[in-house]
Amino acid sequence: MEATIPEPLPSSSAARASGLRKVYGEGDAAVEALRGIDIEFVRREFTAIMGPSGSGKSTLLHCLAGLDSPTTGSVWIGDVDLTTLNEKQLTALRRDKVGFVFQAYNLVPTLTAAENITLPLDIAGRGVDRTWYDQVVDTIGLRDRLGHRPSELSGGQQQRVAGARALVSRPEIVFADEPTGNLDSRSGAELLGFLREAVSTYDQTILMVTHDASAASYSDRVVFLADGRVVDEMRGPTVDGVLDRLKSLES
Amino acid sequence: MWRATFKALVANKLRLLLTALSVVLGVGFVAGTYVLTDTMNAAFEQLFDQTAGAADVVARSSTAFDASLTEGSGGGGSEERQPFPEAVLDDVAALPDVDVATGDVQGYAQMVDPRTDEVIGGVGPPTIGTNWSELADQILDIRVGSPPAGPDDVVVDAATASNVELSVGDRIRILFQGPPREFTVSGIAGFGEADNLAGATLAVFDLETAQEVLEKEGVYDLINVVGRDGVAASELRASVAAVLPDGMEAVTSTTVADEASDTLKEGLGFFQTALLVFALIALFVGSFIIFNTFSIIVAQRTRELALLRALGASRRQVIVSVVTEACVVGLIASVVGIVVGIGIAIGLQGLLGLFNIDLPSTSIQLLPRTIIVSLVLGALVTVAASILPARRAGTVAPIQALREAEDAPPTRALIGRRLAVAVLVTGVGVAAILYGLFGAESNEATLVGLGAAVTFIGVAMLSPLAARPVAGGLGAPLRRLSIQGRLGRENAMRSPKRTASTATALMIGLGLVSMVAILAASLKASFDAALTETLKADYTLSTSSFTTFSPDVGERVAALPEVGVASAFRQDGFRVGDASSFLTAVDPATVEDVATMEVSEGSVSELGEEDTVLVHRDVAEERGWSLGDEVPARFASSGDVPLTIVGIYDENRLVGDYVVSLDTYEVVFTEQLDAFVLVTGAEGVPLPEVADSIRAAVAEFPNVQVQDQAAFREQQAGFIDQLLALVTALLLMAIVIALFGIVNTLGLSIYERTRELGLLRAVGMSRRQVKRMIRWESVIIAVFGALVGIAIGVLFGWALQQALRNQGVTEFVLPVGQLVVYLVLAGLAGVLAAIWPARRAAKLDVLEAISYE
Repeated sequence: MEATIPEPLPSSSAARASGLRKVYGEGDAAVEALRGIDIEFVRREFTAIMGPSGSGKSTLLHCLAGLDSPTTGSVWIGDVDLTTLNEKQLTALRRDKVGFVFQAYNLVPTLTAAENITLPLDIAGRGVDRTWYDQVVDTIGLRDRLGHRPSELSGGQQQRVAGARALVSRPEIVFADEPTGNLDSRSGAELLGFLREAVSTYDQTILMVTHDASAASYSDRVVFLADGRVVDEMRGPTVDGVLDRLKSLES
Repeated sequence: MWRATFKALVANKLRLLLTALSVVLGVGFVAGTYVLTDTMNAAFEQLFDQTAGAADVVARSSTAFDASLTEGSGGGGSEERQPFPEAVLDDVAALPDVDVATGDVQGYAQMVDPRTDEVIGGVGPPTIGTNWSELADQILDIRVGSPPAGPDDVVVDAATASNVELSVGDRIRILFQGPPREFTVSGIAGFGEADNLAGATLAVFDLETAQEVLEKEGVYDLINVVGRDGVAASELRASVAAVLPDGMEAVTSTTVADEASDTLKEGLGFFQTALLVFALIALFVGSFIIFNTFSIIVAQRTRELALLRALGASRRQVIVSVVTEACVVGLIASVVGIVVGIGIAIGLQGLLGLFNIDLPSTSIQLLPRTIIVSLVLGALVTVAASILPARRAGTVAPIQALREAEDAPPTRALIGRRLAVAVLVTGVGVAAILYGLFGAESNEATLVGLGAAVTFIGVAMLSPLAARPVAGGLGAPLRRLSIQGRLGRENAMRSPKRTASTATALMIGLGLVSMVAILAASLKASFDAALTETLKADYTLSTSSFTTFSPDVGERVAALPEVGVASAFRQDGFRVGDASSFLTAVDPATVEDVATMEVSEGSVSELGEEDTVLVHRDVAEERGWSLGDEVPARFASSGDVPLTIVGIYDENRLVGDYVVSLDTYEVVFTEQLDAFVLVTGAEGVPLPEVADSIRAAVAEFPNVQVQDQAAFREQQAGFIDQLLALVTALLLMAIVIALFGIVNTLGLSIYERTRELGLLRAVGMSRRQVKRMIRWESVIIAVFGALVGIAIGVLFGWALQQALRNQGVTEFVLPVGQLVVYLVLAGLAGVLAAIWPARRAAKLDVLEAISYE
């Protein structure tokens, strides 16, 4: 099968943050979750964000995805500055330019797997690109389960359906928040293999938050966060390399 | 454990508030009914005491039975008592114990508004004409002007005066049993503070004039007696009674006041029962909402309840905790309901004012009975509705506390035993209705009512079976429309039990409303059929509200050269043995020219003989009567008058079951007023000409309408529509409560589906789309409830029509257009009910919804 080539890109960056700060609460109760982050995620790359609990990795993901708004600083998806968008525009952006894979509750229980996959397109009222849809479905390997409802699928199958849903609208970038958190290692490996293939074979861009070193080892680049700052990064990560780096961060 | 119960109450306050609202409204309706009727009772009692207080003793003719309430044409408002000769007054006045004795008359006197030429009053409360007297002075306060002093003077009640802006010196025409006459208003009078007496209009003349216009020359209807100082009322009564001729009685004024208030109480009692029925329907509908809310709350609290169980709470304690929660909610809601009820009562009282029923100012009556009944009813309904959910809470196993919360698996609709129970319950309900309608000899209404309630419960138990396929079918067109439509449909289908029980409340409301609509349509059609098949007249003379009118009208019309026949009909109540019945008086010479009676044995002309009667075939067969037998008839004023059967007829839709001649009627009844007159044109005269001449002849009687068949029919349809509107309005309360139920369930469902909604929002569903999705779900639930309700309504309506076939409801009509309108309105109501839940769903904080812990 031949890989489809994405449209010509205006810039090489899929998502970008600059001077990103996020403070929760006010006065004495204020907690600074992100303390000034400048980072860029280039297209066709699989990035993992790691860090200890409370390091701000989920907040970073939420801000990049337009689910949460920065206190100061800017965030771009492609060429769009999210801080200039209103709620409606943000919703449309999530629908058209962003894909999501959450840790759990990824699927609408009343819809079949196939309907869940095309959900963002249906919401947008857009037609489905059958070729791309077939490619995605074949990659997750669940063609025979498409008519089933989530409750009839295993956890791993559900997460792969979620992955397919995230990709079906050909988003600028896919955000995955601990996608393997609730899976056994075999299902987790299947899902990560699928994400890896989406980037390698189909030129997609993925940003994954994880605390699992073996999950991170599927990525091209690992960004380490601690106390709301980017403290390190690693290219071509291995499990051991990631674990070593994490250990040094915690000490 | 109590602390946990209390905490649960507080934590769930919003959803409990909505639940409580249904109880508040239902209880409010109940309390409002009691407060209103109690207040009216108290007000009238005070008024009657005041008006009766002027005399110590009243002398009057005896009656065979009290006909004032259940029967009587109501024209004059006086009880059916024979007048007696004036000479009796002399005997009474001559008694040493008597200080003052006045002879008084009463009768029909309806005033005509000089400005609009429309009659005043007559619908409901009576229009009374009476005389001024020494004693009247003590009851009536002349507020402006002076008492009537000559044949040209009249004093009118203050309410009438202010309603039609009469002032002293104005000329006013008044209608009587005989010809109308013009008077000058000499004074305006009130009853103490009140402007009128229970809505009655009053025209007071001097005695001589009153006797003349009321056709009571040389007679009195009653004698009011005041004793000398120091003479006890009972003593006075005895001495008055001693000089009265046979057939007369003397009673104390206390007795008169009691009689009046008893009569009124009976009337109010009917009113109260009718309102209470609607209030109970509202509460019944509310109970489904309580059931639903508690079911959902228990389901949502499974982990919490399991934790309690794990910590050592017994099954019993868990059940008691849920029931206690329900009881507290029920009691609090009932207290609020009582307050709301007082508001409702005040509002309704204001409404009565619009109908010119002026109540003397009495403080609002909140009797202990009202409070007790309201509290008990409110708590009972809430607790009863919470018992099943509480038992389900009891079955929560401690281990469930440790399990991860899961999406509730799709519930199985109905299986085995539960299906059997549901079918059984429905069957019992239907059987009770059918027995009540067709078999039972007594308590029919109660049987039918309870049967209907049980049937609704049974159908509610069965309807989860239908919920999935019907909701799916209703939503099918939406699937193609949009993802929101598809999700709305799926959400309506996902929990058939919840969808069904949410829709149940609306189902009951619509079931009753459509049943009433079907009955109304059938009534109209039956009436049309009856008119077409029985009426041979060209024109009908009647009043717009079916009150009676002067026989002078018929006589004037009969004398017109353009008129062939003008045949008058009078109707009043009497008794056959002890059973109340109605009879119609006709003119034997002309009745068959204007109406079809299908006399199959004997003949109408034989009614010319004294004390004869025609009987409808069904009655004759039922009683085993044949020609020549006697009907044991009793009349209020004239006592037992056996009537000989001289004919048996088959068509009773116009004249009812018993027919006598006008001559006989005049003998047995005191008041002589026509109910309607049927007129045919003289041969060769064009109908419009006939109509014109009739109209000219009755111009002096603005209450009388001249209508051809089409217009008459339309007017009847108008009455039925009014009644339909009234009943529908009273059922509206139940429907409003049903809508709260949908709001509540949707709200709770949204709470349960927080994560799912968060996901939808995260992957790009806009707020508008979320709202639309919730709206579709609501519409599907509402339309589902309406569909089932209308189906039940059609069956109920058909059964009722069948049961009333012998009472003249011969046709069954399905008002399809109206039912479709109801269905559409239900859908719109669904949209309305979705407003708040949809807004809540749309406002959902996406980040919070998708975050973990």
